[in-house]
Amino acid sequence: MRKYISFVVICLIFVGCRSVTESSRRDCNIRVGIVFDIGGKNDRSFNAAAWEGVKRAERELGICLYDIEPGNPTSIEPAMRAFAERNFDLVIGVGFAQAPLMQKVAKDFPHVKFAIVDGVIFEDDGKTPKSNVASLVFREHEGSYLVGMIAAAKSKSGIIGFLGGMDIKLIHRFKTGYEEGARSINPSIRVIENYVGVTDAAWNNPGKGKELALSQIEKGADVIFTAAGNSGLGAFDAVEQYGRDEKGEAKKYVIGVDSNQNGVKPGFVLTSMVKRVDNAVYEVVKEVLEKRFQGGIHSFGLDKDGVAYAMDENNAGLIPDDVIKKVEAAKREIIEGKIKVTDAMAN
Amino acid sequence: MQEVFTFALLFSSIRLATPLIFAALGGLFSERSGVINIALEGMMLAGAFTAAVVTFEYQSAFLGFLSALMAGAFVGVVYALCVIRFEANQVVTGFAINLLMLGLPQFLSGAIYDSTGSTPQIPKEHLLPQFFNNVSIASILAFALIPICWYVFYKTPFGLRLRAVGENPEAADAAGVDVTRLRYTAVIISGILAAAGGAYLSIGQSSLFTRGMTAGRGFIALAALILAKWRPVPVLFACLFFGFTEALSFQIQGIIKLPSGEDIPVQFIQIIPYVLTIIVLAGFIGLSRPPKALGIPYRKE
Repeated sequence: MRKYISFVVICLIFVGCRSVTESSRRDCNIRVGIVFDIGGKNDRSFNAAAWEGVKRAERELGICLYDIEPGNPTSIEPAMRAFAERNFDLVIGVGFAQAPLMQKVAKDFPHVKFAIVDGVIFEDDGKTPKSNVASLVFREHEGSYLVGMIAAAKSKSGIIGFLGGMDIKLIHRFKTGYEEGARSINPSIRVIENYVGVTDAAWNNPGKGKELALSQIEKGADVIFTAAGNSGLGAFDAVEQYGRDEKGEAKKYVIGVDSNQNGVKPGFVLTSMVKRVDNAVYEVVKEVLEKRFQGGIHSFGLDKDGVAYAMDENNAGLIPDDVIKKVEAAKREIIEGKIKVTDAMAN
Repeated sequence: MQEVFTFALLFSSIRLATPLIFAALGGLFSERSGVINIALEGMMLAGAFTAAVVTFEYQSAFLGFLSALMAGAFVGVVYALCVIRFEANQVVTGFAINLLMLGLPQFLSGAIYDSTGSTPQIPKEHLLPQFFNNVSIASILAFALIPICWYVFYKTPFGLRLRAVGENPEAADAAGVDVTRLRYTAVIISGILAAAGGAYLSIGQSSLFTRGMTAGRGFIALAALILAKWRPVPVLFACLFFGFTEALSFQIQGIIKLPSGEDIPVQFIQIIPYVLTIIVLAGFIGLSRPPKALGIPYRKE
């Protein structure tokens, strides 16, 4: 019996090795490895957008794509190293939490190209951006400013909510932009802000996200902007529970984040502050393929549609035309530099 | 202050306490029979995942809830086999089950929906029914379970035997009680109850399963169990206390300001439940004595 089992195990190992060598022999233009954040690639939000981008690159550019979804924070670094050790052409890390890890890995593998979403990797001096890392950052405050305007224009109570995931600088950036945009419409508006938590579990706790959203609604908020990954989906449930009025309009609204979440609960989602992580990731893959990869900071704002507010058939009619006109005007002014939105990460 | 202490706070506490009550009652059965149950968290996750998948596929929360209970029973059987039949270390095995349940649902979800992060969202109509102030039918069930458990523990022969087995299995055995069978039953009930708590999370409170969505509630339930000194009625109050402190921390966030006008840092607000727990545990409840045979496998002479 024991012999039989060991025979089977050996066969399995053999088959396993074969498939690995075979897959690496496949015709690839380049090999790209992507390491997701704890939320996983199907969080309908931030990671999903990155996944969308690399999938598109796989379809259109003929790259070989490998992905790892780390089960816990400690498996992120080994995953990155595994890609780098096999001399992948590009290693992508998704999420701010990976920045300190990529800092170490990128230093150990100076000939491997890296890209990080939402983080900036510097040389040891802490000032010059590292040359083998493309740091893809987004000016979320600009997009948040626009959805803040929409929220304030839509709010009847004069109270709006902000639901953040983890209490970190990156999320404060969404909040300050949102608040400034709201104040530009209604200077006396009140913003109730809540954070789900202070650890990375804060991205995966929809139950708590819903409770926080309900407590904001109890305090009068009628539009809630979420920037909380999977936890934000709890806020979608919360607004849906308040139902629609006799005209068929939702009583409370939510604003989605990162991916276009307008279709998650159609009619209840005012708009989504989309972060085109997909485009940014796709572009960097393309740059590597065309041998014009450049390290350093790549910043995406309203100008290149790196951030935007999502309009589609699911939220058509929820936002009045005059509000859209104002928002579009503000968008132009931000791009031209006439409106300066405070960047919470700048200081 | 008026903005903090409201009816909303009360209902929020009830909603937050519900999964804890289920899980803590689950722990109660297992631990009073002498089997440590660290695996509550894993059992909750099994229930949450099964409930989300079955409810989504068959559009019936009732079916989803029922299958969650079965999944919990199954995990209970696995755990019971390990710790009762094979006398494995109960803490280590419990942790192994928790770790397994952190990964297994993702794996299955990836196989079924090609999505390891979370299962698809369930439309509101198919979730567990809710009554006034978003109080779910599951919350009512949880509260109803307290007197039932009290009755089972103190008024039935089964309860008497269960308590005896947890305190002194040798004596119970000598009196003709089948210790092993009783412990199996207790651990399986434990799995069923914990899974009910998990199901509430995925198809009652929210509308999908995401990885590790219990976020430590299984362990909070264990703490509530200790706080309640392993008794059914105090379990209710302990869980409500935990639910209340968490709800309170939600209400305070962004409302109460420091004298300087700045917000209180979120970190401080989020330690409130834990600080209160330490104060209550250390200062008010006195000695909390676990069942004497807790954690010791029983081998028939």
